[in-house]
Amino acid sequence: MSFLDIDKLSAFYGKAQALHEVSLQVQEGEIVAIVGANGAGKSTLLDSVMGLTKTGGVIRLGDQVLTGRSSSEIVKLGVGYAPERFNLFPYMTVRDNLLVGAYTARDDIAHNLDMVHKLFPRLEEREHQETSTQSGGERQMVSLGRALMTSPRVLLVDEPTIGLAPKVCLEIAEVLRRLQREFGVTIVITEQNANFALSLAERLYVLESGHVTASGTVEELRDDPRLAEAYFGH
Amino acid sequence: MGLRWYHFALWGAFIVGLALLPELVSKGTLRTIIFANYLAIFAISWDVLSGRTGYISFGHPFLIGIGAYTTAILTKRFGVPVEVSIPIAVLTTMAGGLIVLLPALRVKGSYFAMITLAFMELIYQLVQVVRPDLTGGTRGMSGVPTLTRGAVNGFYLSAFLMVSVALTMWLLMRTRLGTALSAVGMNEESVRGSGLSATRLKMVAFLLSAAIAGLGGAFYIHYLGTIAPRALFEINFAFTIIVAALIGGASTIIGPVIGAFFLTFLLEYLRPYLPGAERYLIYGGVALLLYMYQPRGIYEVIRQGWARVRGLA
Repeated sequence: MSFLDIDKLSAFYGKAQALHEVSLQVQEGEIVAIVGANGAGKSTLLDSVMGLTKTGGVIRLGDQVLTGRSSSEIVKLGVGYAPERFNLFPYMTVRDNLLVGAYTARDDIAHNLDMVHKLFPRLEEREHQETSTQSGGERQMVSLGRALMTSPRVLLVDEPTIGLAPKVCLEIAEVLRRLQREFGVTIVITEQNANFALSLAERLYVLESGHVTASGTVEELRDDPRLAEAYFGH
Repeated sequence: MGLRWYHFALWGAFIVGLALLPELVSKGTLRTIIFANYLAIFAISWDVLSGRTGYISFGHPFLIGIGAYTTAILTKRFGVPVEVSIPIAVLTTMAGGLIVLLPALRVKGSYFAMITLAFMELIYQLVQVVRPDLTGGTRGMSGVPTLTRGAVNGFYLSAFLMVSVALTMWLLMRTRLGTALSAVGMNEESVRGSGLSATRLKMVAFLLSAAIAGLGGAFYIHYLGTIAPRALFEINFAFTIIVAALIGGASTIIGPVIGAFFLTFLLEYLRPYLPGAERYLIYGGVALLLYMYQPRGIYEVIRQGWARVRGLA
């Protein structure tokens, strides 16, 4: 059985259905990317795992069922979330932003902070800076750092490269790889940037208008027209 | 909590300064300061709810009024001693805080502000028609027992209350609870994404705010000795509280205190020259200028000024 198992997930905003029976499996320790255009349902998918939307279907992490639980329980069970466009607390210092992530894992604060500083030495240098004054790349680091403060077993990252310079994207990719390699964190990212997804992930899912239209390994999907379609739109 | 020696020094100086005031200023000024003290308590209460969590309350007199009316009715109509009536007033106000919390679970921004305004209007109308034999109807009540006699004692009581509230909240807001409450104001979605219960945090903020409003309202009414619905549930009163917190510096503790003193004295010193409502024009102008220059309030102006002085030294 897979580590993160999403089975026939449907999500709704009021009466509008944003996801239609999406099924998705993630093995422990792998990096999986969900690729799709704007409005495909990528953020909704991650929000649903976090228990932030109204859903049907079942989501499991290991032997625990996540569906129907509160966000705070889901975080405690080991799901870390770095939401879209970072969603930081703008008028707080880097350090306070990180500490807000640490409420559910109080005993691990020192250890997690150490890990975050190892991955992002710049955050340690700038720990007293307000995040509203930081660059996009630094904010993404704070956002990832905050998610790591929850001691996640699986990390959900919504569009890690959005609005970032190519060089910064490479840095982010490197950090995500180190997280997988050195800390054994399972990672799920969503991306519009198919090339970034192909270079980072081991497997991909293509999401279009709330449906999974293709899935497979990087080799299988590299030349698949459906990937290009999702990427460029119709 | 990151306490430093200068924190103790500043609080010490603040308390000593207040304690010496009756020796330094006239009785008339002292009476003005009493109002500033109570306004400071109300502004701190508003700030805990609105400055931190971003749920802007336009109807704070709703909470203050519950505390004031509860203790006034208990002491005047039923002869309950104040030692009992004031704690009951605080608890009743906290129950009122839960009422204000209900809309905050569903709506945000201007919608929430409008609902709180409606709460204030509602209680204003209700107080006049429901059991006027208890509330005193449109006229309110006079002869509510007072706790102190004379300006000096009134000042000491109000200053003690204000400092206790300010110091307690200052310490509390330096804990991780304070950080989390500010986080709700900046980005509620992310608070939930980080595994915190935004609902529970809001409840804490609303209960704290209500407790302070109830405490302040109760003591205020036992200072005035009279209660009148038109003076209490008034939009100008609500705005004065909000402006005091904003002008001083929202999301801080000393900011609302500075703002309350600034506003009270500004309005009081303008009185001889502009006896009517024109005074509010001046105070609106001052508020506008300050927001243009420094939206984070007087506290931030002082802080930056101090940093510059230290930089030069």
